[in-house]
Amino acid sequence: METGKAEVHGAAEGLRRQKVGVLGAGTMGSGIAITVARAGHPVVVRDLSEDRVEGGLASIRKFLDRGVERGKLSAEKRDAAVSGLSGTTELEALADCDVVIEAIFEDEALKAETFGQLDEICGPETLFHTNTSTLSVTGIASGSKHPERVVGTHYANPAPLVNLVEVARGRLTGDEAHRRTIEFVEGLGKEVVLTKDTPGFILNYFLVPFENDCIRALEAGMGTVESIDKAVTLGLGYPMGTFTLLDIVGLDIHKAVSFALYERLRDPRFAPPPLVDRMIAAGHLGRKTGKGFYEYERAGLMGT
Amino acid sequence: MSEGQKISVLGFGTMGAGIAQVCAEASHEVVVLETSDERLEDGRRRMESFLDEGVRRGKVTEGDRDEALARVRGTTKVGELAGCGVVIEAAVEDLGVKRELLPAVAEAVGEEAVLATNTSALSVTELAATVPRPERFGGLHFFNPAPLMPLVEVVAAEQSSGETLDFLEAFAEGLGKQPVRTKDRPGFLVNRLLMPYLNQVVQAYDDGLASAEDMDTALENGLGYPMGGLKLLDLIGLDVHLHATSAAYEQTHSPYLSPPPLLGRMVSAGYLGRKSGRGFYDWGEAS
Repeated sequence: METGKAEVHGAAEGLRRQKVGVLGAGTMGSGIAITVARAGHPVVVRDLSEDRVEGGLASIRKFLDRGVERGKLSAEKRDAAVSGLSGTTELEALADCDVVIEAIFEDEALKAETFGQLDEICGPETLFHTNTSTLSVTGIASGSKHPERVVGTHYANPAPLVNLVEVARGRLTGDEAHRRTIEFVEGLGKEVVLTKDTPGFILNYFLVPFENDCIRALEAGMGTVESIDKAVTLGLGYPMGTFTLLDIVGLDIHKAVSFALYERLRDPRFAPPPLVDRMIAAGHLGRKTGKGFYEYERAGLMGT
Repeated sequence: MSEGQKISVLGFGTMGAGIAQVCAEASHEVVVLETSDERLEDGRRRMESFLDEGVRRGKVTEGDRDEALARVRGTTKVGELAGCGVVIEAAVEDLGVKRELLPAVAEAVGEEAVLATNTSALSVTELAATVPRPERFGGLHFFNPAPLMPLVEVVAAEQSSGETLDFLEAFAEGLGKQPVRTKDRPGFLVNRLLMPYLNQVVQAYDDGLASAEDMDTALENGLGYPMGGLKLLDLIGLDVHLHATSAAYEQTHSPYLSPPPLLGRMVSAGYLGRKSGRGFYDWGEAS
């Protein structure tokens, strides 16, 4: 597999082109890779198996193609992004990266260890970004011998579409790395908000307990799945009802995020309510299993 | 549901005027009760300017505006409410006031009329207990501005009969609203979900999680909320939220409904939000 030395044309004007490594070819990793590639940076995506890498690259290309079809992206920019895109299963392929963005499984020890391995591979100037949503940036940074270069950059999902990145500095993050990170993320065309290394940063810190409150209101018989979603969309003007959203996120994922935040904050509002466990036990995980709070004709994310 | 019923709205403040307008636009004849002619005039002006704005924006025709206004009349005499089949109470959020008002109105309209309250902070059950035949009493909670917000909460008092709730739901649908049924618990449905979130937003801001702008940007861009929490508080009014969450806290003792200390400090300082010119943001002139 190539390691991505291809020349990229059409980089955004005034933007210093940097080589970017993305760890993880899942939904977040692919979404971040799209965002970075679209801004004109060469990107190398790394995952553990060739299948996963290929799957990630295919979904990235498909997204960019659809952008051209819908008139959101010029064919030249798509071509430039695709030609700068490569995949690998080797960490060593990230040796000449200016920025490495980690979007692997939410496991603090694993993330910390990965940055430790990258210490031996990347140059001392390379920025290490972690896209964790619930873990401690400081904890992850402590795996690196140069923790001052580790910065939290949380891309809101879906990364290519949502205009927001939370930049969180850990206790060990250096001023220079923080400054370079803001510049880099703004160069991707994203709105940057600065926050602290606290569990859930801003987005999940507010979203997750709100979702739990909706589930508790349902448990308490304050309304039905439909009426609570209506209250949220028509009464609060949120773009999607909470139960519609949770069915897309997946109840298993919600439980993991919610419980991770609860463990770190010890605030009962963050604890997943009992109904979540019952639904998981029943296999009602949401769209992906065909049933969650709502029923879907077909299992899968695009179910009706 | 037959159109053109005779409806009584109690109170011609912001909510009362909005509810009267919604009812009149749905072809009901509306009698609004207030305590003085001056307040009746204020309410009428409020309704007129709201409808004029609708005309200006092309949402309402001049003919519809004139017809709606013609269907609303005011009175200061409870006795003139006789013949109203539905009463919607939107008086000041004061238990003492409502306790006195509701039995007097109930007597004027008779035992067949359906009675509803637009309270957001008081117990519907407690208000139902002030009238004879409390089973015909329920909550009909509109959101501000009532003519624009599609949601109405139909709140079941402990005494409300199924028939009353069915009627209120159909009545709200007849107004072009989307009703949701809920129980008479603090905050009903929407505010039960909103208040803990707003309190958390205030506390996080006090804790220095991020700047006000960055917190709101995150919520707007990241979650697609129409307005960040701090901006929303400035719009609602910090005093209004403080009152609502304190009332809910008194009934539940839930720490999530307990007003965060900064909220009380800001209200003491007169930083009430947009209306006082300053809240979490500087709004320049008070509006």
